[in-house]
Amino acid sequence: MSIKVHEFKKVVTSTVIIGMILLFIAFNLFLVFDHHYIRNELTVLNKMVDELGYEINDEMLENFQDLYRDELKKMNEITNDKTSKTYGDVGTFFEEVRNDYDLYNVYTHKELDHMNQIMIMEIYLDFIKDMDHEYASFDLLEFAETEISLYGLQGSAAETARSNYEKLGDRLNQLLDNGEHKNMFFIGQIYGMHSLLFKDIFRVVSFEIMILVVLITAYIMNYEFENKTPLMVYSTRRGRNIIWDKLLVAMGSGVIATTLILGITLIAYFCLFSYKGLWTVPISNYFNWEDVFPLISWWDMSFIQYLICSIVLTYICGILFTMITFILSIFTKNSYISFFAFGILFGLILLIPDIMPRSNNLIFLSGFTPFHLVLNPQIWFTGRGIFTIFKYYEITIVGVWGLLLFIGGKLSAKRFIKEDIH
Amino acid sequence: MLTIHNLSKNFGSFTALKDINLEFTNGVYGLLAPNGAGKTTLMKIITTLLYPSGGEVLYEGQDIFKRGEDYRELLGYLPQEFGYYKNYSPMQYLLYIAALKGLEGKVAKERAIELLKLVGLENVMNKKMKKFSGGMIQRVGIAQAMLNNPKILILDEPTAGLDPKERVRFRNLLTDLSREKIVILSTHIVSDVESIANEIIMIKDKEILYKDSMRNICNLIEGMVYETEVAFDEVSSFKQQYQSLSEKQEQGKMKIRFISKDDIPASTWKPVSPSLEDVFLNIYNDEILEGDNQ
Ligand SMILES: Nc1ncnc2c1ncn2[C@@H]1O[C@H](COP(=O)(O)OP(=O)(O)OP(=O)(O)O)[C@@H](O)[C@H]1O
Ligand SMILES: [Mg+2]
Repeated sequence: MSIKVHEFKKVVTSTVIIGMILLFIAFNLFLVFDHHYIRNELTVLNKMVDELGYEINDEMLENFQDLYRDELKKMNEITNDKTSKTYGDVGTFFEEVRNDYDLYNVYTHKELDHMNQIMIMEIYLDFIKDMDHEYASFDLLEFAETEISLYGLQGSAAETARSNYEKLGDRLNQLLDNGEHKNMFFIGQIYGMHSLLFKDIFRVVSFEIMILVVLITAYIMNYEFENKTPLMVYSTRRGRNIIWDKLLVAMGSGVIATTLILGITLIAYFCLFSYKGLWTVPISNYFNWEDVFPLISWWDMSFIQYLICSIVLTYICGILFTMITFILSIFTKNSYISFFAFGILFGLILLIPDIMPRSNNLIFLSGFTPFHLVLNPQIWFTGRGIFTIFKYYEITIVGVWGLLLFIGGKLSAKRFIKEDIH
Repeated sequence: MLTIHNLSKNFGSFTALKDINLEFTNGVYGLLAPNGAGKTTLMKIITTLLYPSGGEVLYEGQDIFKRGEDYRELLGYLPQEFGYYKNYSPMQYLLYIAALKGLEGKVAKERAIELLKLVGLENVMNKKMKKFSGGMIQRVGIAQAMLNNPKILILDEPTAGLDPKERVRFRNLLTDLSREKIVILSTHIVSDVESIANEIIMIKDKEILYKDSMRNICNLIEGMVYETEVAFDEVSSFKQQYQSLSEKQEQGKMKIRFISKDDIPASTWKPVSPSLEDVFLNIYNDEILEGDNQ
């Protein structure tokens, strides 16, 4: 125990590591607050969900329309009062107001704000109206063919891709049967909240955590060699077995660093953007369809489940990177070289898919790495891109790499135990 | 008992040690050999840092590498060159090493304070080591080696960097501490071992040349060491004939201490009793000459 405490002290007294953590947190807070301007519009949804629930069904829709009509009526009373005009919808009102500054000045800020809220309700109703049609006219297999020709896949690779998209198509039908899509959420095409959280923020965080755990692991693994104390340390009772303490402490420190960075970033995010009433909304809802492709999670997951899975995966990736650095450090005995070796490994592994033959299934295999995982957190647990569409993509990577690194770690440690220390 | 059996060590194609056979029981052993003879290499093997290329090292009949923690628990080691953590105080540093040696927190602290007093660092035990002189660092090193009250204490040039006062202090300390222990210390400073070692081990040409008490080793050249005075212009011809051990100018002449294997000494030669240094110079003389001829 006390050995681990001593090792841990080395980490917390490193100004570089502590400095990096603070820097990363500051950067993430900046990233989150950079989007603060959409905050007020988002709360309209919280209010609607509070009154109507998030599930879109006939009853809810009726209430929704009633609510909207009430609000529209109230608005028309105001406009009628001030300009003797009434409107069929809020869209027309804003069109007029936008082109006529005098008209704009007639209304108070508060009134305009309220009208804007009704406008948002109107937009939701418009979206809901198109929903069934959008899904009906979405052709997954056509998308598959475009992707296949875009990447020039042929032969068995193309077959694999096709069959994957067919499986995703089955899941899409299941999702539509379940009605997972018929749920209210922030409008992806306008606010892109799913991308903001799971693409921008999680990607940055995963990347930061990767850098940190590599730094921490390389630092404590090579500490003795860099301070010229290995002769003393490795001839003590604990001896060369101290690398196991170091590995555990590196993992623990990585977990703490992850908790700090991810924790503070997510707390800031959810303080700024209220997800009140939305935690249990299915993630594969219609409003998360941000661009040309709907969000199709492989499992029926709620937002909070999806978030928790993403957090867990982030932690696991950190641990995998710790293990990679552990192995590298045993061979390099130098923290800078370990760090750069990791960087080079990262680069090479990302390059491999590009040089693989396009007609062989191996091209998919080369994308099954934790490095690909941290670069694309927005696709976690969903099907979309041709190389990551596998249902068990994340789980396979974690399982296979975990096992390989466990074996690799054991073998490297064995080698280290049998090695001369000069 | 620590037994070294047919031990050899190669670094790539270079042989550093070969056919080493030694036995250590409680007592102080002085490993005396010139630079590059393999003293450090031998010690690193005894401390399990290097693996032998051949042969074995046994403690109480068991291979030390197989015994692992059980064996290392009994070890204290002061490396010849060692780093330290600049931002640690001696106290923090000793507590760290104590943890690695498996000492409990409270015991470790008491022991560390005791040892820091013993090596005369009690006043600076909470100061950062980056400001320490070489001698102070060396004393921290000595203290850490003693932490676990080792049964086998390996000291690689322990007096390097110590001033004469500290050297004396260290010798006394060692005499105290060496009871009931195997102490192996290496040096090429003859006077260090003369006073404290029970046995001297000499390595030559990668092999053990002698392992014996100082008296027996000195007896090897008993009756061959003389002192005489030689005029300056004759010094070089004299030195070609006899192996000079030391020279000193005295009253316009050169006083030379030398070795002669002639049976009949000249009347001007004054026989003296050989010192360990004489033996050292005599033994490693060939090596030096060979080196010169190449
Ligand atoms: N790691 C190594 N790789 C290659 N050669 C080595 C290595 N360590 C030691 N040697 C060589 O082995 C020989 C013995 O070295 P060693 O350090 O044991 O000598 P030493 O007796 O301790 O010398 P010194 O009195 O200078 O400390 C030297 O010739 C040295 O160059
Ligand atoms: Mg040496």
